[in-house]
Amino acid sequence: MSAPSSPFAPRSRQRRLREGLVIAVFRAATYVVLLAGGGVFADILIKGSRTVFQAEAPFINTTFLFSAPESLHVFEWEGRRREMGDREFRAFREREPGAADVRAESFVYSAGGIWPCIAGTLLLVAGAMTLALAVGVSSAVYLSEYARDGRFIRFVRLAILNLAGVPSIVFGLFGFGMFVIFFGWNVSLLAGWFTLAFMVLPVVITASEEALKAVPQGLRAAALALGATRWQTIRTAVLPYALPGILTSSILGIARVAGETAPIMFTAAYVVRDRLPWEVERAIDFLFQGVMALPYHIYVVSSKIPQNEYTERVQYGTAFVFLLLVAFVAAASIFLRNRLRARLRW
Amino acid sequence: MPKTAASSSPIVEISDLDFCYGPVQALHGVNLAIPARQVTALIGPSGCGKSTLLRCLNRMNDLIEGARVARGSIRIHGIDIHGPEVDVIELRKHVGMVFQKSNPFPKSIYENIAYGLRLQGVRDRARLDAVVEQSLRGAALWDEVKDRLHQSALGLSGGQQQRLCIARTIAVEPEIILMDEPCSALDPVATAKIEELIQELRARYSIVIVTHNMQQAARCSDQTAFFYLGRLVEQAPTRDIFTNPANPQTEAYVSGRFG
Amino acid sequence: MPTPDSRPHLLARRRLRFLGLTPDDAIRAFFGGNAVVAVIVLALITYFLVREGAGFFGQNRRNLEVYRLAGLEFVDHLRAQEEAHTALTRRLSELRLQAFDRLSRGGADAGAADRALGGFDAYADRFGMAIDPLRALGSELAEIASAIKTKFVVNEDRKEERRQLSAEGRTAEAQRVEVAPVDFAAAARPLLAARDRHREVNRALAAELMSLLSAAPAPPVPELREPLELFGTEVRAYVSELPAIERRLETWDQARPVSFGEALRAFLFGRQWLTASFWQDWYGLLPLLTGSLLVAGVALILSVPLGVGAAIYVNQFASQREQRAVKPAIEFISAFPSVVLGFFGIAVLGEVLRQVSHVPWLDWVPGFPFSERLNVLTAGCLLALIAVPTIFTLAEDALNNVPRALPEASLALGASRLQTTLRIVFPAALSGIISAVLLGLGRVIGETMVVLLCAGNRIAIPDFTQGLGVMVEPVHTMTGIIAQEMGEVVRGSLHYRALFMVGLVLFLLSLGINFLAQRILRRYRLASS
Repeated sequence: MSAPSSPFAPRSRQRRLREGLVIAVFRAATYVVLLAGGGVFADILIKGSRTVFQAEAPFINTTFLFSAPESLHVFEWEGRRREMGDREFRAFREREPGAADVRAESFVYSAGGIWPCIAGTLLLVAGAMTLALAVGVSSAVYLSEYARDGRFIRFVRLAILNLAGVPSIVFGLFGFGMFVIFFGWNVSLLAGWFTLAFMVLPVVITASEEALKAVPQGLRAAALALGATRWQTIRTAVLPYALPGILTSSILGIARVAGETAPIMFTAAYVVRDRLPWEVERAIDFLFQGVMALPYHIYVVSSKIPQNEYTERVQYGTAFVFLLLVAFVAAASIFLRNRLRARLRW
Repeated sequence: MPKTAASSSPIVEISDLDFCYGPVQALHGVNLAIPARQVTALIGPSGCGKSTLLRCLNRMNDLIEGARVARGSIRIHGIDIHGPEVDVIELRKHVGMVFQKSNPFPKSIYENIAYGLRLQGVRDRARLDAVVEQSLRGAALWDEVKDRLHQSALGLSGGQQQRLCIARTIAVEPEIILMDEPCSALDPVATAKIEELIQELRARYSIVIVTHNMQQAARCSDQTAFFYLGRLVEQAPTRDIFTNPANPQTEAYVSGRFG
Repeated sequence: MPTPDSRPHLLARRRLRFLGLTPDDAIRAFFGGNAVVAVIVLALITYFLVREGAGFFGQNRRNLEVYRLAGLEFVDHLRAQEEAHTALTRRLSELRLQAFDRLSRGGADAGAADRALGGFDAYADRFGMAIDPLRALGSELAEIASAIKTKFVVNEDRKEERRQLSAEGRTAEAQRVEVAPVDFAAAARPLLAARDRHREVNRALAAELMSLLSAAPAPPVPELREPLELFGTEVRAYVSELPAIERRLETWDQARPVSFGEALRAFLFGRQWLTASFWQDWYGLLPLLTGSLLVAGVALILSVPLGVGAAIYVNQFASQREQRAVKPAIEFISAFPSVVLGFFGIAVLGEVLRQVSHVPWLDWVPGFPFSERLNVLTAGCLLALIAVPTIFTLAEDALNNVPRALPEASLALGASRLQTTLRIVFPAALSGIISAVLLGLGRVIGETMVVLLCAGNRIAIPDFTQGLGVMVEPVHTMTGIIAQEMGEVVRGSLHYRALFMVGLVLFLLSLGINFLAQRILRRYRLASS
């Protein structure tokens, strides 16, 4: 290096260049991740929209969204290739006398729609989140409002941390062993609710505790000094102000509950079910029925049935609806939480 | 030796109080009598135990882990407040507290005042209205806020918020009001208003105030107790403390030579 | 208004008590109870995994015992020899392929090449056929052993039937179910008797192989000289191994009991996971464990540089605006359902990777080109996408937690931004980053749908002899096998219990990883405070 003319002269070009290069590599890593995520998202969105939207009014493929899966029958009729779902095909054969013995190739689940899966997923999420919020918020209230640091509380916290790391398939096994077999609930909505609720419990507890901790201590002191009992303090001076935080952060839990397949595979999900969940004879049957679910349906149509030119339509369509559902929930959660964090500086 | 020179009968009697935070002893053998319907100021340098003593009086220290009374007793009307038959909730209704940092609930002004009564299950609208007005008048805040009772209390200025907290406290009709450096976060104008208010309140309440501000203690208290390193050094009528302290440490402190 | 002498106010209000508890106590207990739920769930998970899985060892011991008693083990010793021979035969055909390739590249047409290889083919054929007598003996004995086992299984079924009938109180019918106990020792006598024949067959085999070797044809192309010599050495080694096999048969003890440790080892170190086989079921963890680790390894190799790199960039170099855009976007990726990623792997990524592997100038990459769409690489790429948000978020937190004073001190001494980041901030955050990586590993090992859909689901220990080429082999994983087979097994069967055991291993593995991550994090917190 030549002697710099001034003590504050810029460093050598080469060194600056090298630094810039290293930083560029880090930056590239960031954008590779975003690109990969964006690529998957775009692929599903673009190919899926072909199934979900259509050119003519109402522009949304209502058959796909609001009817049950059917088999697709493909056959030649009067020199033209026809594709029909189950019901349409049956009607067609009754209408056309000559069609009774027409040879049709059948493809399972390739016609109709995914309404039972949407309904099932919504039911699973609603029940599981209700349970998880009830237990999780109470648990967080105890940890943040009542508990004093001690060996036992550290043990509880350790358990929560570890529960968060348990693989979802292990929750599935556990739910199967406990709810399906030991309690004899069989493959049912109830078993799915409990399995999923236990799985998101750590998420809800952590989120709730963060929200409770954000409520300033002064409010608690004020309430107590006015003669409030512990519970009155929590009910009137803590929970109301923590609730928005608890709820927004818990939405992320919803994304997790809705997105997981492994825990419901053996506890709640059916490959196919003719009736919709609310079409039950007795009210109690509602709890003890298995349901179809979007993530499981994606698994079934993408690996359990023979693949052909017709399956892609339903695969991408289902993935589209599912991804959009989960993504919407997750985006809402991230957005609301960031806004809340910015606003709530007590 | 501290003089016990209460002019009227004491409402609170503290005898031989030792208080510990875990292994750390914060108060050593404090003996103090707090007279009824007077203002008692607790002064002393930071960490001398004056706030700890204040928080003992309504047992707010119960909330701190490891904090306990190791020896001695605190009696209010002759009843040991740590006794088994004393309900801490009832105690706190009886001994109100105003904090260093104003802490109104993020509710309306009205709801802030009504909070204590609602806790006790009062639903009668007319009674709530009456108490809210009475308390706000009592805290010299009524004229400033009567037109916006149902707006958020967080919209008030710092001094107003602190007076709101005082109003909230007197709404529960305590006999004793504890004030933990109530003006330390306020500007001089707001401070003057609060001091004025304290003068008005002393007719009806027994007030114990912790302050760092010696002028404040001199201006608005009847009795002053000087604490140093967890011990009560001297207690006397305020005039005596500031003009003729018995203890050289007290003299050093009030004349500003340390602290 | 205050009343100075309201002494009763201080006294306790008569509070409602129930079972000696005030309502406040009861509420506190209620919340406390909920807080313990996490502990209870963890305990229940352990309990039910153990409850359903623990029977595995007893059952597997029985399974292995029958394997021995019925003589299947005896026959498998023979089969091992057969396989060794077949492997050598296969080697010869590989060599032929090489030679043929070489010849046709040298300008010979197919016919000419075949003719040139005539001597070699005769040699190979004779070598291959030399094992035929042993193979015949093997299948003869296999039939006997398999008959013993069938008889035993039928008998067990009858016993079960009888037990059920008498449990239902139908004693008469129960009596009528015939149970003929299997006399294993007697039944296996023909097997033991065959040992002499085996020795004879082997002697003939050894003689044949030796004569073959001495009359080995000249290598059809010069390049084959060395491999052929190597082949000769291997054959000699194989022949010298024959007495050892005979000894194994000689010392085979049908009555030797299977110990508990053996059943445990067969699970933990078993190299085969073979179910619903007509011969013998094996429940060995190794193929699944190596599969899981391999996929997780590939995922980490991809996700650690990306996740940590992105965290460093966003935390240290990105502008405020970029930060605000990138962080939620990466967090958003973590919400992608894994089944959707798995589907993407099947539908798009697998094929894309396969075609990339066929690009000529990428030939140097180990394992390229490959033909299986679904393999370790496909699953690993997608798992990396799952791990990146976890690693990114936690690593970014760790970088954020570095006290501001450190980089400021470094900058004040004239270090550049990059120097400060690499020498001060990164080392200070290192343990946080390591624990972030560990938690990412935990997520990846526990992930189910992506590996189930994209890892190829071939149950075998991947072939590590190919070096890095192992990355493009299809494998099966612990999570995948549970998801795939759990739905189809009979409750309480050995297979069912084996799956729960795999679940237990997975559970313990994830607890271990989690524990380690927290320990590292805690130590770091202590050091920094």
